[in-house]
Amino acid sequence: MANNEENRDIRSRQGINTIIVNSARNMHMKTVNARIPQKSTPQPLSQQQNPQWNNFMVNRGTQNTSTIHQRFKSPLAPRTQSTRHVCNNPNNPPCAHCGTTIIPSPKAFMPLEDNPEIIINNWKISTKKKPILNSVELEDWENNKLKGLALPEMIFGNNAITIQNIEKDWTLQFNTLDALKMVKLEDSGIRVSYSNKWLDAKKNNATKNSNQKSDIDESSLKIVHNYDWTYTTEYKGTIKQNSKDSVEYNFQRDDEVQLPIDKLSRSDKILFFDDMILFEDELADNGISVLNCKIRVMDERLLLLSRFFLRVDDVLIRVIDTRIYVEFDENIIIREFKKYEDQYSSVLSRHRLSHSYDPKAALRDSNWVVANSPLVTRECEILKF
Amino acid sequence: MSTEVDVDVPMQDAEQSDLDLELELEDELMKPGSSGIADHKSAEPVKLTTTSIGQLDAWIEKLVKCEVLSEDEVARLCKMAVDVLQFEENVQPVNVPVTICGDVHGQFHDLIELFKIGGPCPDTNYLFMGDYVDRGYYSVETVSYLVAMKVRYPSRITILRGNHESRQITQVYGFYDECLRKYGSASVWKMFTDLFDYFPITALVDNQIFCLHGGLSPMIETVDQVRDLNRIQEVPHEGPMCDLLWSDPDDRGGWGISPRGAGFTFGQDISEQFNHTNNLSLIARAHQLVMEGFSWSHQQNVITIFSAPNYCYRCGNQAAIMEVDENHNRQLLQYDPSIRPGEPTVTRKTPDYFL
Ligand SMILES: [Mn+2]
Repeated sequence: MANNEENRDIRSRQGINTIIVNSARNMHMKTVNARIPQKSTPQPLSQQQNPQWNNFMVNRGTQNTSTIHQRFKSPLAPRTQSTRHVCNNPNNPPCAHCGTTIIPSPKAFMPLEDNPEIIINNWKISTKKKPILNSVELEDWENNKLKGLALPEMIFGNNAITIQNIEKDWTLQFNTLDALKMVKLEDSGIRVSYSNKWLDAKKNNATKNSNQKSDIDESSLKIVHNYDWTYTTEYKGTIKQNSKDSVEYNFQRDDEVQLPIDKLSRSDKILFFDDMILFEDELADNGISVLNCKIRVMDERLLLLSRFFLRVDDVLIRVIDTRIYVEFDENIIIREFKKYEDQYSSVLSRHRLSHSYDPKAALRDSNWVVANSPLVTRECEILKF
Repeated sequence: MSTEVDVDVPMQDAEQSDLDLELELEDELMKPGSSGIADHKSAEPVKLTTTSIGQLDAWIEKLVKCEVLSEDEVARLCKMAVDVLQFEENVQPVNVPVTICGDVHGQFHDLIELFKIGGPCPDTNYLFMGDYVDRGYYSVETVSYLVAMKVRYPSRITILRGNHESRQITQVYGFYDECLRKYGSASVWKMFTDLFDYFPITALVDNQIFCLHGGLSPMIETVDQVRDLNRIQEVPHEGPMCDLLWSDPDDRGGWGISPRGAGFTFGQDISEQFNHTNNLSLIARAHQLVMEGFSWSHQQNVITIFSAPNYCYRCGNQAAIMEVDENHNRQLLQYDPSIRPGEPTVTRKTPDYFL
């Protein structure tokens, strides 16, 4: 990765201009506006808007904003349903036509950042989404925060899901930096499928040219920089507390504990939903490594799934799932950790039996892969306040 | 559950009972030249007639509206394109002024935006450095449009080969699926992948800027050595042609091997030496996503240009193109994703009851 501070200087020295074509952003605001149901009578604005919301507002008509505010933000607005939860999710309004919540995931446009939250009892759940890291941020991660790791191609380094118990000052967060900190800085031992062929060809070539001048000799055929290029992470979230004086709460290991699938299978209304990628790498077109996090919050409980999905084409498949379950009224948190792994060919052969015509499509679907790969590890932990 | 990890082109699985056929099909697919588009190559470059110009203009008009050509039209287009591209060189000479562009990856609407920002072709000369297909939802439209423009204005637009212009990669990353979905068979995919074998692999802008998709190769010290390669083939898994389409610049000096066990990285010393040996001022390449759309490396010996804004509809990155004028002044144009009225601007997800 290039040194950007330096680059910028050189760029200005050599007088290469960069023009930023910006009109698309304004167009985007119009499109977002168009999705939001219109109302004729503007309402006065409330005081308690978060900064994002203010930014968002500046770019659009006031009339519109007050309407949305009234509809989607104000906890004081009269509601027909139970008011057990407080919702602050202004950028994800229901569709004007069908009422379904639309989640732009993740936000596609640079100036926008989404930071919705919901509060139920003592529980505050919030998410944050922004585009991939820019070159200044990248440089910082590369040289300081994650020194020694060649960073994945797409880092949504500002994305996070946070589950907080306000009363107990206990926070569990899933963020990109902490997930990447768990990537090992050593050789994973995994090689792409054609690696041997590739290395052999180089070696033969080096031997052939050993008497002549050659750019490449045996010594340069070693991998110099070792890190786990598959970005495998067994990240289970980061536990935090705001005040040092707060009581520390820790999970207790208990593998007997099961997630209450019956409760989670009910079609309770989803009050808050988000789905985001924390990082992704296409392994130089040799498959995919991606860490995805999603959450759904219902009136009585929530479920979060953090899934690491790795496919090294023609080599192996690996899925690492961490599930967080919270039962709000009982203040119970369950954390389940599962790891699946198999040879690529074995997983693919299971697909052949399923008679579908595009085998590669199934191998892109992490759900299908999980259902068709052996579970190698399962751990469970529980915490009750 | 509808988790879409690695969402390339979502498509419905069709039932197919005959597994043997599937296996046979896979081998058959990899066979270069099986589409027949290069069976009757002309001995000299295609000369456009009034009829063929009319035909091409009609296709371009259709494509610009993001409508696909029929299978028969693609066949005719690819045949004409073979007779243009087979006469181009491994190191295709390009004159200034020209606008140099990076990866497009099937993001058709962003390609149209690119032409709005850079100026319409053929009034503006363009040089694309590969990766037209895969990942985005409109690979067919994108590559059809660029190829049609190439045949219509051969001296105005240059289209190099990227590592995605390959039979193997397109089967994994979406173009193959998209062809099946849009045409109901693999024949259009076969025609295009057969055509990709004829794409030039590098270009030289006014003997000063060496343009290619990936980067340098330890087996290539001079530009002339590129001219000696036999490029009309599937992108090999190793060797100089593979390196030119796959390698990446790195902060570490010298040649490095990726910990993946294949693929080179090259350091600043290598770029400086190459530019010095070949009397070049710059290596322009694509292949890597960069948030700002462009990125300088190796003390301005190398620039990476990436022209797919909001890559994969989720990265939020900007795109860039580089204009080089008659006096070799360079200017980078940076831009955001295009907005299509009435269409969602972002990947929309509705809540799902995942477990
Ligand atoms: Mn590429």
